[in-house]
Parts: sequence; structure tokens; C-alpha cells
Amino acid sequence: MAVYKRKYTPYTGSLTPERSRFFVLTRYAFADLFKSRFFVLLLILSLVPSLFFAGYIFIANNKAVQLLLPTGPADMFSVEAGFFTFIMIVQTQAAFLLNCWVGPILIAGDLTNGALPLFLSRPFSRADYVLGKLAVMGLLLSGVTWVPSLLLFTLQAGLAKGDWIWSHMWMVVPIVLCSAIWILMLSLISLAVSAWVKLRIVATGVIFISFFIPAALGEMFNAIMGTIWGRLLNFSYLFQIILARGFREPSRLLGTMGWNEIPVPAAWGVLIFVCLLSLVILNARLRARDTVRG
Amino acid sequence: MMNPTIELNGLEVQLGGRTILHGLTGILKSRAIGLLGPNGAGKSTLINTLLGFHSPSKGSARVLGLDSHTNGKALRSLVGYMPENDAFISKMSGVRFVRYMAEISGLPSAQAMERAHEAFVYVGLGEARYRPVGTYSLGMKQLAKLAQAIAHGPKVLVLDEPTNGMDPPARKRLIELIREIREASDICLLLSSHLLRDVEETCDEVLILRNGQIASISNLVEERRANRKFLELETMGAEATFTSTLEGLGCECAVFTNGRIKVVMPDGVEIREVFKVAADKGVQIRRMNHRRDSLEDIFLNAMEQTGAADGRI
Repeated sequence: MAVYKRKYTPYTGSLTPERSRFFVLTRYAFADLFKSRFFVLLLILSLVPSLFFAGYIFIANNKAVQLLLPTGPADMFSVEAGFFTFIMIVQTQAAFLLNCWVGPILIAGDLTNGALPLFLSRPFSRADYVLGKLAVMGLLLSGVTWVPSLLLFTLQAGLAKGDWIWSHMWMVVPIVLCSAIWILMLSLISLAVSAWVKLRIVATGVIFISFFIPAALGEMFNAIMGTIWGRLLNFSYLFQIILARGFREPSRLLGTMGWNEIPVPAAWGVLIFVCLLSLVILNARLRARDTVRG
Repeated sequence: MMNPTIELNGLEVQLGGRTILHGLTGILKSRAIGLLGPNGAGKSTLINTLLGFHSPSKGSARVLGLDSHTNGKALRSLVGYMPENDAFISKMSGVRFVRYMAEISGLPSAQAMERAHEAFVYVGLGEARYRPVGTYSLGMKQLAKLAQAIAHGPKVLVLDEPTNGMDPPARKRLIELIREIREASDICLLLSSHLLRDVEETCDEVLILRNGQIASISNLVEERRANRKFLELETMGAEATFTSTLEGLGCECAVFTNGRIKVVMPDGVEIREVFKVAADKGVQIRRMNHRRDSLEDIFLNAMEQTGAADGRI
């Protein structure tokens, strides 16, 4: 019907499959995100380290280039598990910064002006809503974590001689698995905080400090009680424990922390607990109607 | 056999430890149903329950035969909902916002875009469709909410206080739109309002709630038809013979002081016959009010019958 007719007519056309409708949210969210120049800049900056890593891999596999360096050929150019651990740490921190900015944009905008009842009054569940938003975070953060890491792995496999790829194939698993838990935790925390706080700027701040304040409190607890268990509140540390164990070697690049202090199952347990807690918050806050108790 | 529009079977809803709806039971069959009641009567809770936002603690509610709790998704696929409060995405342009909502309802992208433009032009916001919704006036936001509620072509249109905050011309335009939508298709309408005129002008049947209970279910069409023959007279002269002659024609008469008479006329008796009897008996008819019982009377009666002496709205 043409718009000039100004007459209401029912819709009689086809409908899209229900199971894929959550992706409408993802599509619109990406369209909105890429309108922001700041977001595009942040995304590009997140990928810049990968270019340096690619350069490093190229030099490490090219003796001619190494000869041009003032130091000459050296063993310092080693592309092994420690190097990929370092890549993962850098890229997951970039993902963290990206998450602080993007997460609140996804949900806070809907909640500030009460748009949630409009979504949920359609054949669209809260699970679909969360899935649609998680898909944005998942795709975006994958683009700065495991995807560039695997591309670098592929680059190294292509440049390295012999059977490097087969002897290092096991590294694909920690790259993907560790990225997955980090992406899931970051996404759920940012969505839960955004749903709770509702104001975008405040939510960005809360997500940011939610990684530092508990870690600082944990260190205070350790100092007072003379224990190490306060580090269970340091999510980045827990992730790095899992990462180091996944790559089979605690690397010297990881700093001075004692990597074997907190057991890996405890680290997994805390990260999974944080994910579940975020889901509980999302379940409580993402409702079409608030219930006033009393 | 066609399903009733709304069917309530002992519906009880508890929120935050309080019982808001107390065992509502009733069947509403009309295509346009008004939901009336004082503030806090449970109108919005009933709408939210019908939409599946709240689960019944007892009983059930059905819309077009679909249980709001167990068939929530199927039911919501038939619904277009215009909420009472602000509900929009402020940075989106109006037409993009409506397109977005239509796509979530399942329309393919191209059709959603087309329907969004149509809906925006239809509600009279064609010129403002590319502006961010956050910059709209209150009345325009109401119209944008209506546009998103109708863009996907629902079978049931649920309007919660649609004329809230609108000036009289805008309100009139919105009521006209709602009536047009009703007439132009077989859409069912559920309109909640505390403004009796809104309901009277758009609905055929009314459910009146008070303190979470059904105060009355009235079919306005039948009420109007029944009250078409209701006369209020102010007379001077021989009242007794006048009324007895009218009663002989089958009318029911009630005589009050100062010559005031109320007459309920049966089918087949026309007003001119009343004039004829008056002339025959030498009675002057000084005033005649051919009165329709308004929704306000129905509402106040319902309030009184349920013990609401104050009848506050």
C-alpha cells in the first residue's frame, strides 16, 4: 500500500523464522555502533597490537631481516606458547576496554526510556533479547581476541618451516577456549551492570571499576589476613592463571605473580560464578514491568 | 464457534506479596473492549497479565482463545501494544524505531520498512519520521507508540491510556484514528483508560474494575439500544391520567415531584404518541429529555453497587 492512501491495512505477508529474530537486535546494534567514530577508533586501536605481533612473527621467520637489525640474528625472536600467551593477554585487555564502552550502549538505551515492554510484548522472550545483545558482544570481542590470535597462528604456521603447525596445533584450543570464557564473562558483566544501573556513562564507569575495586579489596584482604585467597576477586589474574595453564607454561611475560598460588579449578569456578551471578541480575532487571514490593 | 475476545477464569494475580486482581471471572465478546476503573483498580495489571508480563497465581486469562500464560508467545504474536508510559529508543529516528519493532515482530526487513513509513504517515507523523524519537513532543510520542503498535498488523490492539497527556485536538485525532483502525479491519481492541469519553467513543463493551475486582461488565451497544426509549419529562397538568394512559400503551412510568416523570417506552411506541396522549389529556410537556444512559451512569452505578460510596475516579 502506498503511503499517500493513509488507510490502515492488516499485514498479510510472510514472517521471518522466530529462532533467528534475536539477530535483528544484533544487526541494529552493529549499525548504530558503526555510526560512532569513537567506537570505530577504539576498534582500530584494539587491532593495532596484532599488526605489531604480525611484524614480529615476520621478523622471527626471516633471517635476512634479522641480519639488518643492529643486534643481528638472535634467539630473542621466539614464537612459542609464551608469545601467544602474551598476544592473548594484550588482546583480551583491549577487549575489556572495548567492552566497557560498548556494553552499556546496548542495553542502557533500551531501559532508560522504557523500551523493554515493546520488545517483550512481541513474540520475543527475554532470552532472545539477551541472546541478541550477547551476539553483538560475542562477535565484536571475538574480532579482537581469538580471531586475530588464530590469524597470527596461521601466519606463523605459514612462515615457519617444518612441522611447526602440527607440533603447535594444541594451542588452538586454549586460544579459543580462554577467549570464550573471557568474552562470556565480560559480556555478561557489562550487560548485567547496564541493566542494573541503566545510565550509560555510569554503567561504563561501574564496569571499569568492577574489575579493579574487587581486586584491590582482595589484595587488602591478603595483606591483612596473610593469605592468597583474596586474589579470587581479581578476575584478570584468574583469567591469566587459566591462560597460562592452557598454554602449558607460566611465561616470564606474565609478571611477578605466583601463577601456581590459586588452583586452576578455583579460578574457573570464580569466573563461572561471576557469569551465573550476572545472569541472575539480568533475570531480575530485564522485566517488562517492575514489581513494587510491600 | 468464534472464541471470546477475552475470557477470565478466576484470575488472581499477586505482585510483591499483594493480591492485585482477585479472582476475576467474565467473558467479553465484543471486538472493542474498554477497561475502566479508578486509579489502582488493576487495569494495567490486567493488561500486563493478558500480555504475559505477569503470571497468574490462580485461574487463567485467555485472549482469542489463547492462554496468556501457557500460550504467551503465540498470543503476543497477535498483539500490538501501546504502553501507558514512555517507551521508545530516544536516539533512533521515528521510522527506524517503528521498522525495528516491526522486524522484531517478524516482518522481513523490506516489508518492515514499508509498513513503518505507512504507519507513520497514517498516524500523522509523516513529516517528523526522520527525527529522533527523543525530540518528539508528548503527543507525538503517543502517536509514535501507536505507529509501532500497528505497523506489524496485529489482530489485537492493546492501548493503555492512549490519550494520556494529549491536548484536546490531538486527543480527538487519536480517538478518530483508533475508530478508523477498528472499522478498517477485523482487529480487536482493548483500551484501558480512566477517561470515560475515550472508552465511550471507541468501545462496544466495557469491563469496570474496582479494587482488583470486576465491578461490572456492560455491553455498551445493548445499553445504548435499551436506553434509546428512555424519556425524562417535566409536565404540568393531570399527571395521573397521563401516566395511566401511557402505562396502557405498555410504558413504565415513575412520577416524581413537580411534575417530573420518567418514562421507559417499549418497542413499537414512538415519542409522537407521548405527545398525542399529552394533548388528549391536556397535559403540557414543558421539557423533554430523550436521554441515553451515559457510560458515566454505568460506571457510577457499578461503583455504588460494589460499595464505593465515594465513586472516586
